[in-house]
Amino acid sequence: MDSHPSFAPSGTQMQVPGMLDANLRVRGRVEYAMDAKLPGMIHAKLLRSPHAHARLVSIDASRARALPGVIAVITGPDLANRDDIYPYYGPIFRDQSVLVMDKARFVGDPVAAVAAIDLDTAQAALDLIDVEWEELEPVLSLDDALAAGSIVHDEPPRLGQTFADIIVRTEANSNICNHFKLRKGNIEDGFAQADHVFEDVFTSPPVQHVPMETHNCVAWWENGVLRLISATQMPFSVRAQLAEIFKVPQTRVRITVPTLGGGYGAKTYAKVEPVTAVLAQVTGRPVRLHLTREEEFVTITKHGMQIRMKTGVTRDGKIVARHSTCYFNTGAYADIGPRLIKNGGFGTGGPHKIDNVWVDSYAVYTNLAPAGAFRGYGVSQAAWAYESQMDMIADRLGWDPYEFRMKNLLNEGEPVMTGEPMYDAHFKDLLATAAERIGWDANVKAVRHGNKVRGKGLSVIIKASVTPSTSSASVKLNEDGSLQILSSAVEMGQGAETTLSVLGGEVLDLRLDQVSITHPDTDFTPYDQGTSSSRNTYSMGTAVKMAVEDIKQQLFRLASDDLEVAIGDLEVFRGRVQVKGVPERSVGYGDLVRKARAGNLLATAVYASNGGLDPETGQGIGSVHWHQAAGAAEVEVDLDTGRIEVLKYHAGVYAGRIANPAQAELQTEGNIAFGLGQALYEEMIYDGGQLQNGNLADYMIVSIEDMPRQISLDVLERHESHDIHGIGETSLPPCMPAVGNAVFRATGVRILDLPITPEKVLRGLRANARPQAHVQEIDA
Amino acid sequence: MTAEDTVAGVTARAVDGDGRISITLQVNGREQRIQVRPHHTLLEVLRNELGLTGPREGCGVGMCGACTVLVDGRPVSGCLLPAALAEGHELTTIEGLEGPNGELHPIQQAFVDHTGFQCSYCTPGFILTSKALLAEQPDASRDEARAYLAGNLCRCGSYVKILDSVMDAKERLKG
Repeated sequence: MDSHPSFAPSGTQMQVPGMLDANLRVRGRVEYAMDAKLPGMIHAKLLRSPHAHARLVSIDASRARALPGVIAVITGPDLANRDDIYPYYGPIFRDQSVLVMDKARFVGDPVAAVAAIDLDTAQAALDLIDVEWEELEPVLSLDDALAAGSIVHDEPPRLGQTFADIIVRTEANSNICNHFKLRKGNIEDGFAQADHVFEDVFTSPPVQHVPMETHNCVAWWENGVLRLISATQMPFSVRAQLAEIFKVPQTRVRITVPTLGGGYGAKTYAKVEPVTAVLAQVTGRPVRLHLTREEEFVTITKHGMQIRMKTGVTRDGKIVARHSTCYFNTGAYADIGPRLIKNGGFGTGGPHKIDNVWVDSYAVYTNLAPAGAFRGYGVSQAAWAYESQMDMIADRLGWDPYEFRMKNLLNEGEPVMTGEPMYDAHFKDLLATAAERIGWDANVKAVRHGNKVRGKGLSVIIKASVTPSTSSASVKLNEDGSLQILSSAVEMGQGAETTLSVLGGEVLDLRLDQVSITHPDTDFTPYDQGTSSSRNTYSMGTAVKMAVEDIKQQLFRLASDDLEVAIGDLEVFRGRVQVKGVPERSVGYGDLVRKARAGNLLATAVYASNGGLDPETGQGIGSVHWHQAAGAAEVEVDLDTGRIEVLKYHAGVYAGRIANPAQAELQTEGNIAFGLGQALYEEMIYDGGQLQNGNLADYMIVSIEDMPRQISLDVLERHESHDIHGIGETSLPPCMPAVGNAVFRATGVRILDLPITPEKVLRGLRANARPQAHVQEIDA
Repeated sequence: MTAEDTVAGVTARAVDGDGRISITLQVNGREQRIQVRPHHTLLEVLRNELGLTGPREGCGVGMCGACTVLVDGRPVSGCLLPAALAEGHELTTIEGLEGPNGELHPIQQAFVDHTGFQCSYCTPGFILTSKALLAEQPDASRDEARAYLAGNLCRCGSYVKILDSVMDAKERLKG
């Protein structure tokens, strides 16, 4: 039998399965937010704007309210008239209203909400709401936005309480939502040192996260407390926003989060919760809102992006200057865009040692669906530019892309683009392994086989984790020696709860069945900034370990009295405190808890990372540690049809210490699936502001048949490192440029605009009939 | 018209005051008589009327397979099939695979042992489709399994370990 061996962390008695509740999951019995049923629960539907940009002239819901089975209808103007509600939300700018009050800013902007006894009735009621719109000139592209002929937000955005790392720089009478600057070294001097300067423009389209479980929540009011069961990655952010909307203390909002059916960034920050909570308040009943797939597509997206990148190199292959101008299309509402442009902006510096870097990165409002956090967080867009350009430079100068990278990748201690030294640098190891696994040969660009041609591509990326950030955890050691972890980490398929149980349990050398962990409940589990940014295993994991370490010290103090030895002579072993190396002189945890008459031992720990960037120069501490990954692809391109098949893909990622091997592999394989989709298929196609392919019949995501038949992984571990690197996103951004570079090597066609479709490749083949150098012909 | 008239093989039903008809479904070996609206899909009825939460809506248009139900052993998208048309067929959801005390089916056990999932939203669909595959092709190759499972989408991208699970389940079923 070829079953996955369970993992035993060294020096512990633990046997770690891939997922603690695997048994429930394969039986279809794990509960998602959408499975919650409450007595008297009613169902909500939203009426959405059919226009990209339109002033709301009038809205009349009286016919809908009269429909039997309708409990309540609320409209934007209803909210504007309520003094007890602050009807705006957004994690940085409060630029999104619970329902449209003045004007709609994208096709799908909700303007009214119906609550009815069943979905059929709610749906029927939508047709009975009469809305009059006055269409306005829509802002449909970055060019439209920058021309500023039409303005998406007429007034400067309302600021609210936000995160410590946010830098805000807005402009009046403009569609510029935020501007991030990075100024490292002297850019003029840098380009003066360069022997060659290259300038290229790269674009990425908006794409959607497509979590299989769409956004949903149930809200109800109980004794003046707003309760929610929500599929969110950020219970505390949602709680804060709801408390602000209803003008109540945060203690009057309680959010519980069951396991999520995928998130990938889509479920960060308030989305469906505000309108559902208002409906629950108005009706006095539990209300469920569960978006359809079509609605999901316009709820939040990855930023469409355009980057103009100018890079200067010396004739011996050193990069000496890079100037990037980045426009991130944040859509109708800012969401977390004002922060994302920072990470995407400084991300254009790449994993290279470049002394002179200048970045202007803009979040730009348009009348498209809002863009926000998306697995990769701006780095996918940045890496698509710089890793494509690395190969373009190498090709123009006749260099080997592998050697060109090796010459420029950061070494230990060299400054990253934000100025701080790179620690624990593994870029070169990751690239070397990637090249070896894909069978990189500098002398063979392409191998032709009849009408099909094969080529290989490489890429390496660097990614930050949000810094500074805060996680806290509480733990209880019970009278039987079992350990309970109270954490607000959201389990969304990444195995957070399993991994945190391992990290907590191993401090006390417990078996996994002696450890339990809660789902988030904002009344009981302590604060966490959110399950995002690949931060959970590191940040929450550190908080959990610190709290359990505190328990261990309490046990040592108790055992020191009991065993009459100094604390320094004690150790833990399989649920007991013992004199080092003397198992016969030991006492069980439970005995110590009982003797202390404590009921349980308690500990709480807060882990807060430090850092932040200077607002004028973008220099400082950009990340508590830097995530590192490499990718290598071998593709086969059909020269008659342009069809691309990825035959082989290798993903390398630095993990520090691996806490759960099965999950480390799954996350990395998942990044390959996510990345290849964005490389080859995924694109939200708009026409006049109307999304043309917002459903899974027209929008292609990677299926099992699209996966490369050969996949190799290099989840790089350094055993002596106690530093855990989150790997939920890191191996995603290399995919797109690795494929693009492989397609170029195979065909000589360079695609600058994602995705790399057969049409674009065919067009390139026709335009670019130059013979390929170094093509090896083999017999068909 | 009587409560049930059959015209050219199509059964016409009386509709009650709430617009519902009475239908009888064979679900996981049990006969279930329920009132449904004629346009309600099998997926809606399984979830809302019968409380079976294993089948899940992912796309609503028959593309993702998260709502897969075995209809006489064949995988069908529950979001596309009007519940009334499922009458007279043997329906199996993920809840029907386990033993009376929750004992796992060998395919389920293989998915546990290989961690053939992440968020597991799509897992019931994959397991049911795998069951149909291995019933039709007990010696299915990895490539044949890839082709058969192409109608089930996993956005977490657990595909490698899903295939590992299915190939292992094949051996287990041969026993």
